[in-house]
Amino acid sequence: MTAFVVAAIAMLAALIPLGVVLCRARVMSAVVAYEAISSVAVLVLMLLAEAFGRPGEFELATVLAALLLSSGLVFARFLERWR
Amino acid sequence: MARAVAVDVLLGLAVVVVLACSAGVLLMRDAYQKLHYVTPVSMVAPVLAGLAVLVQSGWTAASGQAWLVVAIMLITSPFLAHATVRAIWIREQGGAERATADPAGNGERR
Repeated sequence: MTAFVVAAIAMLAALIPLGVVLCRARVMSAVVAYEAISSVAVLVLMLLAEAFGRPGEFELATVLAALLLSSGLVFARFLERWR
Repeated sequence: MARAVAVDVLLGLAVVVVLACSAGVLLMRDAYQKLHYVTPVSMVAPVLAGLAVLVQSGWTAASGQAWLVVAIMLITSPFLAHATVRAIWIREQGGAERATADPAGNGERR
């Protein structure tokens, strides 16, 4: 188990408090937690691609990083109009 | 040996940043305060992880793709944070129509 795998697992532990906020907080706080979770997921995918020596899997992290902006903008745009 | 230590230190710093920011998101009171703790996750930790990949692999296609991910996050995160803060503010003001009609928020409609 390389340092990259250990770091990815440790970062996955950070999803627990973020998941608590996502499930229990008010809606805009949940959106903030969702954005943090997406950022951590990008990091985990990047670290696992390096750990397993599969450069092709960096594309997953790339696509998720690009979708992070668009999905966050969708949430922000709709939640500012709909209560 | 020195390369492995550098990778461990960089990854350790990235993990510390992510864990501390997740605790911050959990403990802060409102969405404005919580959003401050998303920025290090999307700006600082990716740079540290990208540096770790660069130190581990050198200038390869893998490190190039890792830095592409880092660049995307560095470019897009400020826009997303701004859009989120704007959405929070508009909701607090009572909706998009009222915020457009009364940008100063003093209660007067045009």
